[in-house]
Amino acid sequence: MESKSPHIIREFDAAFNSLGNTVSVMAGQTRLNLERAVSGLMTRDLDLCRAVIADDDDVDEAERKIDAAGLDILVRFHPVATDLRKVISSMKVAAALERISDHAVNISKRAKKMLQKQEVPETQLIEPVYTIADGILKDAFLAYTDRNGSLGASLRERDLELDRAHKRVIGTLSERIEQGGDTTEAYLHLIFVVRSLERVGDLAVNIGEDAVFLDRAEDIRYARKRAAEIQDEDPDL
Amino acid sequence: MPREDFIAVDKFSFFYGEKQALHDIDMAIPQQEVTALIGPSGCGKSTLLRNMNRMNDLIEGVRHRGDIRLNGKSLYDPRIEVISLRKRVGMVFQKYNPFAKTVYENVIFSLRVAGRNKKKELDEVVERSLRSAALWDEVKDRLHDSAFGLSGGQQQRLCIARAIANQPEILLMDEPCAALDPTATLKIESLIRDLKSQFTIVIVTHNMEQASRCSDRTAFLYMGRLVEYGPTKQLFENPSEEDTEAYISGRFS
Repeated sequence: MESKSPHIIREFDAAFNSLGNTVSVMAGQTRLNLERAVSGLMTRDLDLCRAVIADDDDVDEAERKIDAAGLDILVRFHPVATDLRKVISSMKVAAALERISDHAVNISKRAKKMLQKQEVPETQLIEPVYTIADGILKDAFLAYTDRNGSLGASLRERDLELDRAHKRVIGTLSERIEQGGDTTEAYLHLIFVVRSLERVGDLAVNIGEDAVFLDRAEDIRYARKRAAEIQDEDPDL
Repeated sequence: MPREDFIAVDKFSFFYGEKQALHDIDMAIPQQEVTALIGPSGCGKSTLLRNMNRMNDLIEGVRHRGDIRLNGKSLYDPRIEVISLRKRVGMVFQKYNPFAKTVYENVIFSLRVAGRNKKKELDEVVERSLRSAALWDEVKDRLHDSAFGLSGGQQQRLCIARAIANQPEILLMDEPCAALDPTATLKIESLIRDLKSQFTIVIVTHNMEQASRCSDRTAFLYMGRLVEYGPTKQLFENPSEEDTEAYISGRFS
């Protein structure tokens, strides 16, 4: 149950809005970094790759700022209920975004190495995987900003689609590696790139789970694993 | 097994003359738990608390509707004597109020009134009560000094010792830490948590953190009505009612 009225202490609303804005800016930076990392790989643009690596510092700084602002709100205002969940989920979303940006950096570093060698057409296999991962990331953040628990909880299913796409590409690249030749190193780089995108999907699912916690005060993490364990323990199930 | 409805408030309404202070309150307070009553000033929380040992009977022109039962028996049963009821239901007030007597005599005041004067019994009650109130070690060498020589926090714990000397079943606390500094407040809160193994405790507090720290259940009252009542963790993490969320979050107009 969320209350829309302003807080009696005006500084609380100011601190709270500032926290939310910093998370939004960080999410924008992170998505942009991921987009530029993939674009740098696809278009063989060295400047883009370098920009992603350099701009990751801004994302790191944003995470630090969000943690400091969250801690400040906890210490000064002792928030409860929705306000408390908002502070906790903002700090967790920031941690996930920081790791996503690290994956963008990993992709850019791989791309930089690939630029030193001849282009391989299999690079094009990355784009559809990126499209799925970015779609999940976009909706994960939307679920968090809109407090949309249903959207947040739906992302796990879409991550399965990403996992399937990831496996297909890994399968194709593994076959190419088995065939041998000068392009083996490029294929290995692409395997790491597609693995990074698969991890981006996982982290976006985590953000979706944070949105569910924010919206409904429910912890849905590891729900499938827990359900499977319960089923294992009870042979009648 | 502790009883779930040890204090059963049943469609209870209360009136100061024409003014209705409580409206059809229904709540079951469990035995050996701490239940906090929260809400803005004038919401009826102290009125409800004071009805649990019929303190409000002392005010002229009051009347009630509905019932409050202690361990299944109505407080308003004509066979119940108010004096014996108050032995079963001890009370601690906002401002510590020791009597102008020694520490020792404060603790056993109600026993003296009841004509119990055996030294051995009184000594035992004093030590047991002061130990339960986490005060024994601090005052055992000053038992015959004036109670006014104690610090504020010690005086409030002495009042708790006095309230539990008769071994009541229920302990009512009306903002027991309002006049204390943060350290003394934490000591009282710790004591409240310890005491719940022996007593059923109902506490009125304006301090949200205090309610969340030391109570098992919390009731939010507003304008004489019970808005929400449930496990404290749930009420402070994910309240069901918009008014509760607004109040505990500091957004109440």
